[in-house]
Amino acid sequence: MIARIAYAFREMWASFRRNLTLTAAAILTSAIALLLVGTTFLIQRAFENLLVQWRGDVEMIVFVRSDATPEQIALIGDTIKSAPTIIDVEKLQYLDKVQTYEEAKRIFAGDPVTLSLLTPENIPSQYKVVPLTDDPALVRSLSEQYRSLPGVEDVALAEDEFQVISTLSRFVRTVTLVMSLVLLVVAVGLIWNTIRTAMFARRREIEVMKLVGATNWFIRIPFMLEGLLQGLLGAVVSCGGLWVLNSAWNNGVAGFKPGTGISSLVVPSSYLSTVMVVLLVVGAVVGAVGSAIAASRFLDV
Amino acid sequence: MIRLDHVTKKYGSEIVAVRDATFDVAKGDFVFLVGPSGSGKSTILRLINRQEVADRGDVWVAGRNVNEMPDSRVPYLRRSMGNVFQDYKLLTNKTVFENVAFALEVIGKPRHMIARQVPIVLDLVGLAGKEDRFPNQLSGGEQQRVSIARAFVNRPLILLADEPTGNLDPATGEGIMGLLDEINQTGTTVVMATHDHRVVNAMRRRVIQLDRGVIVRDQERGVYE
Repeated sequence: MIARIAYAFREMWASFRRNLTLTAAAILTSAIALLLVGTTFLIQRAFENLLVQWRGDVEMIVFVRSDATPEQIALIGDTIKSAPTIIDVEKLQYLDKVQTYEEAKRIFAGDPVTLSLLTPENIPSQYKVVPLTDDPALVRSLSEQYRSLPGVEDVALAEDEFQVISTLSRFVRTVTLVMSLVLLVVAVGLIWNTIRTAMFARRREIEVMKLVGATNWFIRIPFMLEGLLQGLLGAVVSCGGLWVLNSAWNNGVAGFKPGTGISSLVVPSSYLSTVMVVLLVVGAVVGAVGSAIAASRFLDV
Repeated sequence: MIRLDHVTKKYGSEIVAVRDATFDVAKGDFVFLVGPSGSGKSTILRLINRQEVADRGDVWVAGRNVNEMPDSRVPYLRRSMGNVFQDYKLLTNKTVFENVAFALEVIGKPRHMIARQVPIVLDLVGLAGKEDRFPNQLSGGEQQRVSIARAFVNRPLILLADEPTGNLDPATGEGIMGLLDEINQTGTTVVMATHDHRVVNAMRRRVIQLDRGVIVRDQERGVYE
């Protein structure tokens, strides 16, 4: 038994070194594919964080018409404060036109056309409301009430905003998932090809092995180990890449002001480790399976 | 030991390599399969070690029907037989010792057993002292001796030899035949395909003659004709 295991590892290592270029290509492709898979996991998780945090201190935003009189603005504020059991009065915040315009600059940073239509004169001011209740229906009914007040332009509920974010996160998730799946298939193909080349180079040896009565598994296992090693090395590289990416992202995010939502797009390091373990397992399995398929094809004599 | 029962083997739908072949080989026999190139000698050997499967008829080896054997059993069938080829099929990157050891290694024999068996069989084939040579440092006859050692190291019931003297000069070929005879004396059944008149006539063993896939003669103590 020990002789067999030693044999398998010796053969794997010899073959691994013989085809360094192809091996490197297979490792790199699987590394990139797995890096994308890992990134998908992290993005998904980050978006979840974002949603969770918004839900934590929900904001209902009451937009006030830009031509509202100061009396109307005060009335709206008083109305909101008149329900202190439902609304957190302490956290009620009023952003005047200038402040709202500053905020809009950031929101529409990627949309200069919309931004150019806005000026500190025509922009609505806004009340940011933090409810005390957990009951979304209650918040919604309040919003209907506010909407009918004079001077109110619109009431936005964070609940509705969530849908945009979750749609966005679903979109990003789908795109990255599809890309990583395609790349995984490519990685399997490359590992498959590497193993096939390795087996072709050793077809004489395999022929002799078959003639003296080696079982197919005995012939196959060193090649499967080789594929497994390639997948595993790819996974190790991708874990390194993921770690660098995540650190860079965290550093970048640390520069943002709190409360903008972006700062919540950070994953805990325990989750990062879990993702890395998943990547290592996936890499090893993909490599072993790819080479097993290649080996089986070649053993049909 | 070996029995072919109305065996037909075609390659594609047109070429009939072996047609309705029937013969028996008893344990310890030495049999020549003779005939010109393409007469089906090699195909019969390949049917016996199950590199090919017969289209019709049955091939029996040591009481087992080779045709109906599942693929997973084939390696065990092959462990009961040794193969020798015209082109030796040695592994050029391995030494003489490693080439012979390889046959034991791949069927999972432990190291200490390999270390004991290989020198014995190398001594038997007359290659003692050349364990560390590589195949390209050996003469053709020596290379064929390595391949016989590899075929015999597992003490098989059957030795299949396909033109083993085909690449060798007469004197060297004679040496190889002596070796096969010696192996036959230990009780190993030998089936050898050849078109070498001299070795067949010198040995005076059973001869099965093939012509375009058909057995035309099966004679005890025969000559080539």
